[in-house]
Amino acid sequence: MKAYRAEWLLNNMITKTILTAVSSLVAVTLFAADSPPVGSNAPQFSLPDAKGKTQALADFKGKYVVLEWFNPQCPFVKKHYGSGNMQKLQQDFTGKGVVWLTIDSSAPGAEGNLTAEQAGAVVNSWKTHQTALLLDPEGKVGRAYGAKNTPHMFVINPEGKVVYEGAIDSKATPNPADIANSTNYVKVALDESMSGKPVSNPNTRPYGCSVKYQ
Amino acid sequence: MALPRTLITSFAALVLMAGHSAAQTYEGRELVRAELVADTSAVTPGKPFTVGLLLHMVPGWHTYWRFPGDAGIPTEIKWNLPAGWKAGEIQWPIPLKLDEPGDIQIYGYHDEVLLMQEMTPPASLNGSAVQLTADASWLVCEKICIPGSATVRMDLPVGSGAAANQQIFARFRKLLPQPWPSKGMTAKWTRAGPGARLVIEGDGLAKNGFVDFYPAPPPKVVVSHPVVENRDDKRITFRIPFDSADKNLASLNGVFVFGSSPDSPDRSGWAVPVSAPNAASSAAPTAQQGLITLFFFGFLGGLILNLMPCVLPVISLKIFGFVRQAGQTRSKILRSGLAFAAGIFAWFIALGLLLVGLKSAGHQITWAFQFTDPYFVFGMAVLVLVFALNMFGVFEVSLPQRATRGMLGLTDREGEAGSFVQGVFATLLATPCTAPYLGTALGFAFTQSGIVIMAMFMSIAAGMAFPYVLLAAQPAWLRFLPKPGPWMNHVRQVMGFLLLATLLFLLYVVGAQRGLEGLIWASAFLLVVSVACWIKGIFLVPTASLRSRSIAVIVILVMLLGGGAYFIGQKFRTSTASQLANSEPGGWQPFSPSLLQAELQQGHPVFVDFTAAWCLNCKFNEARVLENAVVRDAFQQHGVTKLKADWTSGDPVITKILQQFGRVGVPFYVLYPGNSAEPVVFPELLTKDLVLERLEGVSRRVASQ
Repeated sequence: MKAYRAEWLLNNMITKTILTAVSSLVAVTLFAADSPPVGSNAPQFSLPDAKGKTQALADFKGKYVVLEWFNPQCPFVKKHYGSGNMQKLQQDFTGKGVVWLTIDSSAPGAEGNLTAEQAGAVVNSWKTHQTALLLDPEGKVGRAYGAKNTPHMFVINPEGKVVYEGAIDSKATPNPADIANSTNYVKVALDESMSGKPVSNPNTRPYGCSVKYQ
Repeated sequence: MALPRTLITSFAALVLMAGHSAAQTYEGRELVRAELVADTSAVTPGKPFTVGLLLHMVPGWHTYWRFPGDAGIPTEIKWNLPAGWKAGEIQWPIPLKLDEPGDIQIYGYHDEVLLMQEMTPPASLNGSAVQLTADASWLVCEKICIPGSATVRMDLPVGSGAAANQQIFARFRKLLPQPWPSKGMTAKWTRAGPGARLVIEGDGLAKNGFVDFYPAPPPKVVVSHPVVENRDDKRITFRIPFDSADKNLASLNGVFVFGSSPDSPDRSGWAVPVSAPNAASSAAPTAQQGLITLFFFGFLGGLILNLMPCVLPVISLKIFGFVRQAGQTRSKILRSGLAFAAGIFAWFIALGLLLVGLKSAGHQITWAFQFTDPYFVFGMAVLVLVFALNMFGVFEVSLPQRATRGMLGLTDREGEAGSFVQGVFATLLATPCTAPYLGTALGFAFTQSGIVIMAMFMSIAAGMAFPYVLLAAQPAWLRFLPKPGPWMNHVRQVMGFLLLATLLFLLYVVGAQRGLEGLIWASAFLLVVSVACWIKGIFLVPTASLRSRSIAVIVILVMLLGGGAYFIGQKFRTSTASQLANSEPGGWQPFSPSLLQAELQQGHPVFVDFTAAWCLNCKFNEARVLENAVVRDAFQQHGVTKLKADWTSGDPVITKILQQFGRVGVPFYVLYPGNSAEPVVFPELLTKDLVLERLEGVSRRVASQ
């Protein structure tokens, strides 16, 4: 009788284990999906930088990564570089270990397209502080991310998920005087995310010039 | 005296009614000329009139509408008005929708645009003339974008004016969106996925060659491209994907635009009402009707769930329970049946609450999404195999009496509690079956409110529990069931084979996700599990000694942990499905956004099949319709490029595209006509006729252009 009871107990235990395992499996895998692009895995890519070195997103796994779509001739980009706003943001966050990748997806012949040499000159003369300025003349990476504007900003967390997508800040104008009175969404997203909080405003409407794809 | 005075006024008006123009030049070239114009030759105190900012753009360049689309910024006008003056809102003419490479859509104006505003002068005016000044700023783009700005002025005499600049005002007033017609035309908004669905219904919609919805969202709402989901003579359905902090937002300001073509000067538009109370009340009954139908199908679905190969085995145990209970008291049977039903409900309620909770926390929930995770599929495979082995009697040796207690062994001992747990377990096992089968209906329910989601789950639960409640309430019907006997063992074994069939399906999915290698390693672990079950059946029995039982437990643990770590932790984890061959059978090519873009740029129509290995509806559509010889020929004849977007492992790029169309899962079918016309979305259940008809429609439209 005792043995019988033992078997019953074992059966009972196996049942309970299976029940728990399956329910947690269901709970975890079924509902963990967030709305892409925010919450989804950032598409992988590798691109040459201004120095001809290939930079891959996979190399920065475990770090925060900012993607910034760039076109040096776009007035909205000039607004943030001419005022030093973008350089300061780059400096502040790369100083905190954030990887900052500026991507130029302008097609050859279109406004803002850069050769490696020209890209290097922009980095020098504009005194930029990004980790790397990447060249995407075929627009592959831009299209994979659905980048539509310059500047169009993405923040990727150390797990490789997109946590912010949208505008650089809250004032959609080409006027540098508006920077002072605007909220910088990228800074807010990084600050919040890096202190373990959810990003309060994960998806905003980007503004700027259209990316000059092929 | 009267005559000369009029003459003088008119002359003054000629000189003055058009203001000073200002030009924006770039590298020596004039891009935009800006000036103010009024629809009157003189200002009468207290009498409103209209002033417009007239922008002339050089050919090829454009300025932007109030909602610029994917890039750009709207033109701004800041007035410096004398005291007492009031300026109304800018009245924006219907813009053009312009496409740029990279799927960028913008709304703007070419050549010339007049941005009108109503001006109300104060009741008394000093002096003989007034000067109105505004700072205007705009962004003008062609291949490049240049911001421009100007201070524009206009002087108007005070007096009784005549109409002025009639031609240009008439031209642009005709392009202003009109208020929604009070009769004969309805616009209904519903929340759908991330975004909303707009259904416009009325007679006379058929005559427009072109219809579109131009959104004008508030600044915090991020809108993607509206698409025409469905169109017939009296009804047009738009899907407008958007993202907003307010997850209940179900409508947007915007303009329903129609005409012979998108850029014809005869294009017209109506401002779409934003969930007006009238529209809402008239929409309610149809929506309700739709929901009732949906709940009915939920119920039916639940009922049929009982026959699914993954549920039937559990259910059969319950039936055995009933068979044995045939002789028992009525109240006992009733209690046991109700407890079983309660178990079914409990699981669905818990699941429903979890989903509603996650949804209100802002998560994007999907059903069937679990199937994109190979570990989930594999976990289910293990569970199903263990259950099948149990059914075959490999372990928990089947004395006829004990067998009927089922896997849980609780039924008898704990009475109603046992029945309850059985109910939960049956429903739990049903989960893998609901995904391929109820995915579409649940996918729709998930776009609705929490109450609708719960109601949907409740109707499925009700359908699933229905037979047991019925049998429990009418135990007399139990006599139609055969008497208990050895046949029950045979049925049990047959159920085991059903489970193996389910296992086959799960392994097919694993194979699609992790390739042949992954499939083999997963199967190797299943073999280990089988042997472990067999050891349990032989040695972990009451008759065995404590020592042999302890050894058995250790051996089982070592096998499972070792096998799990090696086959699953190492081999399975690292295996991946081999890259799809460049051309799949039947002329299908693997989907990628760049391939789609490339094909469209060459002007080819493109059909995209969003599918997954685990999606039974997809397989059904593919076998019955898409791979049908007639349909295949039609695709070829119309020169349609066929792309297959495989969502088996939940590819994020594909997820994103699905979401742009407001979908949370597969199946999904879309046809891009290849002439930059709106993509055509197909219903989830394809028919041959429908596909052929839409293909014809595409060629007609291409031909007429």
